[in-house]
Amino acid sequence: MNFTILLAQAAVEDRLFGLDSQTLIGALIQFVNALILTGALSFILYKPVKEYMEKRSLKIKGQMEDAEKAKQKAEALVAEFEARLKDIDDEAEKILEDARLKAAEEGRAIVENAKHEAEAILKRAQEKIEFDKIKLREESRLYIIELAVNLAQKYIESSIDDNAKEQLFEEAISKLELSKWQS
Amino acid sequence: MGIGVKTFWTFNIFGVEVWITETIVNTWIIMLGLIALAIFARIKLRSFKEIPEGIQNFIEAAVDIFDGLAKSNLGEKLSYISPLFFSVFAFILSSALFSVFGLRAPTADFTTTFALAMLSFLMMLIMGFKHKKGKYLKSFFEPYPIFFPLNLIGELSKPISLSFRLFGNMLSGTIILTLYYALTPIFVQIGIPALLHAVFDVIFGALQTYIFVVVSLMFVKNAAD
Repeated sequence: MNFTILLAQAAVEDRLFGLDSQTLIGALIQFVNALILTGALSFILYKPVKEYMEKRSLKIKGQMEDAEKAKQKAEALVAEFEARLKDIDDEAEKILEDARLKAAEEGRAIVENAKHEAEAILKRAQEKIEFDKIKLREESRLYIIELAVNLAQKYIESSIDDNAKEQLFEEAISKLELSKWQS
Repeated sequence: MGIGVKTFWTFNIFGVEVWITETIVNTWIIMLGLIALAIFARIKLRSFKEIPEGIQNFIEAAVDIFDGLAKSNLGEKLSYISPLFFSVFAFILSSALFSVFGLRAPTADFTTTFALAMLSFLMMLIMGFKHKKGKYLKSFFEPYPIFFPLNLIGELSKPISLSFRLFGNMLSGTIILTLYYALTPIFVQIGIPALLHAVFDVIFGALQTYIFVVVSLMFVKNAAD
């Protein structure tokens, strides 16, 4: 039985395990098969899917970073607007306070002016009253003189002669002049 | 399904007898299936959405889970070799699931597990020389140059033991199921074998796939670090 016959016999029989050249040849074929399968699965499936997933991860990461930046920007804007609102409140408060002070001052000035004006009006009224009083007194005096003259004239004309009339007239005039001078 | 591996064809290439066995044919069938699935996934990739749904979930989960597994064992530095082990993982798992259909798993043949182990060993050497350069070669001669044969056997024994572990586990399932089909009456061959297939092919198959790939990844990492 030579080596070739042994191989031929083995080839037709089922074999479970053998440490011979066919095991090595079979292993070599399987090794090549494994390399082919590795190449195929790597280039057709594994790498493209992995690349796709990595790209998507990067995209999502970028979107998350953008969202974070947008959030930070929004927070900065909110803080800025809150600060502005606070400034506006302070400014409004200041304006109101100024307006209140100004109004109070103006009120005081108006009251003061009114007081001065009232005093001036009062003074003018008192002066007018005084003037009217003097004027009335003068008119009264002149009227009384005229009345007295008329009465005296009538009396004299009816009761005394011309000399007596003259004397009485002179006396009356003198008295009136004296009273006028005194008032 | 018999216990032994059938030989379908024999070729003589440059005076060397080459057997095309059941294992090799089944491997090609599995490869075709996996490549067809990969092409289908690649076509689907064109219509992938930002929020995954349907088959996209499955494809992304498969790649993402394995990538996480590879990175956790290899580290970020060596993660670029994860596609190789992804293929190994897909192949061993598909082989185990292949037996569910009553066909012989290619991993129940030592030629397959030995080839996969040699792939791991080759990766150990490549990564070791690439990342540690002279130090990796020097590690074979430590503590004294006389220890070189022992160190070499030590390194070789890692993937070989791994290949025997996978081969033994897958073959045991095949033997048990074959014996069950051969020795039991026909009326207990309905229903019960489903449970046996679930245990030996699906559960043990998935477990052994995980063990083989994770241990291989660790060997490669140890060689490169």
